[in-house]
Amino acid sequence: MSNTSRAISLSVSKLTKSYGDFEVIKDLDLEIRQGTIHGLVGLNGSGKTTTLECILGLQLYNSGNISVLDKHPTHLYEAAGKIVGIFDTPSLHPNLTVRQCLEHARLLCPEAARTPEKVEHLLGIEKFQNFKIKHLSLGNKRRASIAQGLLGQPELVLLDEPFNGLDAEGVDDVLNLIKTLNQREGTTFLLSSHQLPYLEQICSHIAILHQGRIAVSDEIDTLFSHDRIHVRLRCNNEGDVRELIAGVQAIEIEANDDESYLHLALENMGSADLNRMLVEAGIAVTELVIKRDSLGSLFREITSGQQS
Amino acid sequence: MNGFVTALQAEFYVSLRSFSGKLIVLAPSVLVLIQYLITKLSEAGQQARDNLLGSSSFADINGNAYGYYVDGLSTGITTLGLLLVGYAAFSISSDRDTGVIRHLLIRRISRSALLLAKLAHIHLMAIASFLLLLGFTYFGSGLLWEYGAIVEDGFELISVEEISTEISLGIKLALIPLPAAIAFGLLVSVCTQSTTQAVTSALGITILLDVFKAMLGDYAYYLYATFQPSLLDQSYLQDVSRIVRGFSDVLIDDRVQQLNLWVPVPEMLAFVLAGLYIIQRRKL
Repeated sequence: MSNTSRAISLSVSKLTKSYGDFEVIKDLDLEIRQGTIHGLVGLNGSGKTTTLECILGLQLYNSGNISVLDKHPTHLYEAAGKIVGIFDTPSLHPNLTVRQCLEHARLLCPEAARTPEKVEHLLGIEKFQNFKIKHLSLGNKRRASIAQGLLGQPELVLLDEPFNGLDAEGVDDVLNLIKTLNQREGTTFLLSSHQLPYLEQICSHIAILHQGRIAVSDEIDTLFSHDRIHVRLRCNNEGDVRELIAGVQAIEIEANDDESYLHLALENMGSADLNRMLVEAGIAVTELVIKRDSLGSLFREITSGQQS
Repeated sequence: MNGFVTALQAEFYVSLRSFSGKLIVLAPSVLVLIQYLITKLSEAGQQARDNLLGSSSFADINGNAYGYYVDGLSTGITTLGLLLVGYAAFSISSDRDTGVIRHLLIRRISRSALLLAKLAHIHLMAIASFLLLLGFTYFGSGLLWEYGAIVEDGFELISVEEISTEISLGIKLALIPLPAAIAFGLLVSVCTQSTTQAVTSALGITILLDVFKAMLGDYAYYLYATFQPSLLDQSYLQDVSRIVRGFSDVLIDDRVQQLNLWVPVPEMLAFVLAGLYIIQRRKL
């Protein structure tokens, strides 16, 4: 199904939120379609959590419109459990056991498709079912919190820093769970996180929040599939290389570092073409590495560029 | 109503498994038990001393179980009132601190339904606690002392029926301010920033009202707390304790009784409405 033909699960337009005189979010627009996995990234204090809290109706906003599964944020309860928020701090009763917390959450799910036993198993916390929440480690609290959110049949799940406190195995479990729910049940996800490699691994869409606005929002494939590639080059004679490529419009020298690498950007030109050109000019290429674009580099580019 | 029943079920699920829920129900009766044991021990000591010295005390009058019954109720309702204010203040602020309130609101329950469910839940807990207290004090004082009319020099000063009527009135007037106290606790819970702040503020203000009500003169009768059994008790139950022992025959002034009946209810409604207004607007 093409992206635009999917129904809109979440729509935010012209959202503005201030704390006193400080405007955290300014005219923020965001649209999430059904069955996608959206990553929301931003620097500390960029307004990610505030955005999620406004979407979930936990705090009021100054202006703008938000529609979550066609519900206003203050009326999410009308969606009867189809919307779930999982937060950076485990939102669980500290004096209840894991199983009791899940049973408590089950009261809130009219259609509990997954039983507490099932979600405990999915998150690998079945052996802690009789432990009080206050006696669990941060990672297991996080697992229990996610388990609680996945009871019922959620259509839209918003997760704030879902990987915080999790070990490598826990991260894999959560990533697999998100993928499975998305593929099998078409569950839509919005993940706010600083863990860019994980987001890159799992998200179909990325939105970068910077200075209160969405600076970039697109499909991850579109963001990284352009005609410009970046390479790192080391040769026996850097001076000759500079002379050679000075006249080639398709090559731009971006930088050279202390270890005598040249960082080049190639426009409509492959790395093999560059290699051939250098060899034909009698320049011995010691190393030629294609630098893959990453979410991290894009994020740094946007946040540092706009800050300066 | 937007998840009211679900919210009530969720509240009971937690309170039946938590220490604070059990504390509300059991603590007033346990305190009365301690009070009765101390009183009985003290009386036994006094009686032993009297027997040794060959003197007599006012044991005949003091020994009437109705006096201890009212004292027990007074202690129990005072404790219950304080516990209810603290518990109400704890309820929303604690859910907010732990983040549990977020799940409730996003999944099934509107903000107003949540507040009203908490109000109903605490009232039901209060009823359970009071019924236990009532049964416990009645049977406890009957077991340790003897119920009977107030008799002096062979004359019946106050009959059992009259005692029962006054006790019923005293209990009724003492219970009427409790819903206002609960609503006050909830309002504080909604307004404050943390659980600690909520509980200390609610209990602090309640105790301050208790201290300052004597200085307010007639204005104190327009305050629900004046009619609530408390540490500095001015409630009618305190007078009933003296009446059923034959120490007093001054019944409640009709004007004060009317104020006792009608002042706490609008104050409770005002607290609930203020709570509903604020909970709709604040960050949770």
